Formats: sequence, C-alpha cells, structure tokens
Amino acid sequence: MGKPLLLKAQIREHTGSKAAQRVRQLGRIPAVVYGHKKEPIAISLDGHNLVEGLHSGRRLVSVQIGKKQETMIFKELQYDYLGKDIIHVDLMRVEASETVRVTVPIELKGTAKGAQEGGIVEEHTDRLEIECRVTDIPEAIVVSVKDIEVGDTLHASDIELPDGVRLVSSPSTLLLTCGLVAAAKSTEEIEEEVPAAPEVIGEVKEAEEGSSEEKAEKRKT
Amino acid sequence: MAMMPRRVKYRKSQRGRMKGNASRSNFVAFGEYGLQSLETSWVTAKNIEAGRVAATHFLHREGKVYLRIFPYKPISGKPLETRMGKGKGETEYWAARVRPGMVMYEIGGVPEDVAKQALVRVAHKMPVRCRFVKRRHSL
Repeated sequence: MGKPLLLKAQIREHTGSKAAQRVRQLGRIPAVVYGHKKEPIAISLDGHNLVEGLHSGRRLVSVQIGKKQETMIFKELQYDYLGKDIIHVDLMRVEASETVRVTVPIELKGTAKGAQEGGIVEEHTDRLEIECRVTDIPEAIVVSVKDIEVGDTLHASDIELPDGVRLVSSPSTLLLTCGLVAAAKSTEEIEEEVPAAPEVIGEVKEAEEGSSEEKAEKRKT
Repeated sequence: MAMMPRRVKYRKSQRGRMKGNASRSNFVAFGEYGLQSLETSWVTAKNIEAGRVAATHFLHREGKVYLRIFPYKPISGKPLETRMGKGKGETEYWAARVRPGMVMYEIGGVPEDVAKQALVRVAHKMPVRCRFVKRRHSL
C-alpha cells in the first residue's frame, strides 16, 4: 500500500438528513470519524478528491481536521439507491502499528480451465474479512483461477494470503464454483411446470372444515 | 400461462402503492452485470419471460442469466361488456412490483460487451427505463 491519501475536512456543525443533503449540494460528502475511544466527529470531505482516491484503491487516508492531521481508514461507504454516488463515509482512527479488521475485495486472475471447456465460473463471495497491520492492508486479494476445472470449488481456506494477513472470515466460505450451464428452458417447458392456477392455502383448509361440518350435521340428523 | 406462485395465501390482492426506491435487491449479487430499473412499475410475468427469452437467445447457452424478480402480485380485471359491481374480477395476470434501483436481471460468465448487448435486448422488453450496472467488488 502506497502513501496515504491526504484529504482536507470541514467540521459539520449541523447534522441530520436535511443538513447532509445541503452539504452534498455543495459537492462535498458527509462523513463521520470515530475510534480510539474519542468522541465521534461529523465532518465533510471534498467529493472529487475522495472519489479519485477511492478509485486508486487506497484504504489508508490522512485527514486534516482544522490544524490537526490524523490517519484513518475507510470503514464503510454508503451509496445512493442506484449505487451510483457515495452519500456518506465512515472513517476510523488508526495508528500505523495497529492491527485492524477490514473487508478486502477478491480479484480473480486468469481464465479457468473449466471456462475453456464450456463451464462458467460463478463468484459466490467477492470480499473477505481479514486482520492485518494498517500499513499492510492489501488493495485486493488476488486469486489465480487458472487451475479451476469444471466441478471444482474454491473456499476461503484454499487461498494464499499475503504475509502478515490473517483470515477472519470463516475458512469454509465458498468463493467460487465452476460448473456447466444447464440448457435454458423454453417457454413451453416452463408453462408445463407451472400449474394453471396457484393453490390457495386457506381455501384447502376451509374445504376440509366444510366437509367436517357437513359430516357433523349428518351425524346429528 | 407464464410464471406465477405455486401457493398463495389469498387469491386476490388490493392494488397497493409503490412509494420510494428499492431498499434491497439494489445491487448485483449473483452475476457480474445487471439490469437496474430506474422507474416504478408492475412488471408482468409476460414481460419477465420475454426478457429471459431475449437474453438466453442472444447468449446461445453461454453464460448464465439470473432473474431477480418474480411475479407475486395477482392483478384482477373485469371481463369486457360487464356491468359494474358483482364483486372483484378474476385474476388476469401476475406481476412483480419493481421500484427504482431494483436489479431485475443479472448475467455472469460472459464478457462485458456481450452482457451489455444481451441486457439491452432485455431492456427493450421492460415497461420501465433501465440502466446497465456492474458488480461492485470494492467497498
């Protein structure tokens, strides 16, 4: 991981959704800083610089709040309903020597053997939780899929992690599978499978109850 | 008839209102690429099936198509030339409730350009404006 990204922050005096919306209209992104048992601070960051820094894959960030400069990591990002724009950022105070738990994306490298044989590689999990020193946080965990054949599976325990990185996610977490694609069903086949009308749960019971009542009446007569 | 639930608790439902944006099913979770709705609408079982056929036909058994929506809502209607009253009409078709942000279709196992072309064909079958989205791997 390279040098931490330097961002200048402004303290937000007003909090809440309306105030946050006004901050966003100015091209800034609302954020919160917490950690190290200090009071959380509501800040705002320049949207352009933040997005640029995130695109470079950096997790470590140096934030200047007033005259004070602190090292932090991106803990969580919130996106809008379309998943397009960042609407809020969570930053956690850290120190260089500290060990932290972070979620890191998995990057698949190469073309699987199974894919060349007509199978497809399905990625079930695309990120893993790891524990490492702040300075050792990898941008991504690179997994080579060259040797994956049709029918093979890859679990979290199967991948090699960089030095100083410990896996926190369950070792049995399924990362990817390679399988053949079943032939797509035609509309006629689907129509055959689907009943003409769905079964109504309550009505079946009522019919049974009705028949039992009739039986009871017959017994009385 | 196309897709519909196997078992239901009630035969008919009220129209309901669809307010706001999708709060779940709003990111690509299974494949690599997806088709995201930008509007609110009922997407009928026929629409969903037409989209599925368009995608699978274009992909020629390459890759995998995931349907993220299902028509759970029964839509009733009165027959033609019928006087008003005499109770609610029978179920005519089934629909999925789609809100802005909802990822309706996903495709995996094919390059981006192929997925894009397939999803453009699907988008033409949809009663809503759509956009092409990719899976977000990072934070």
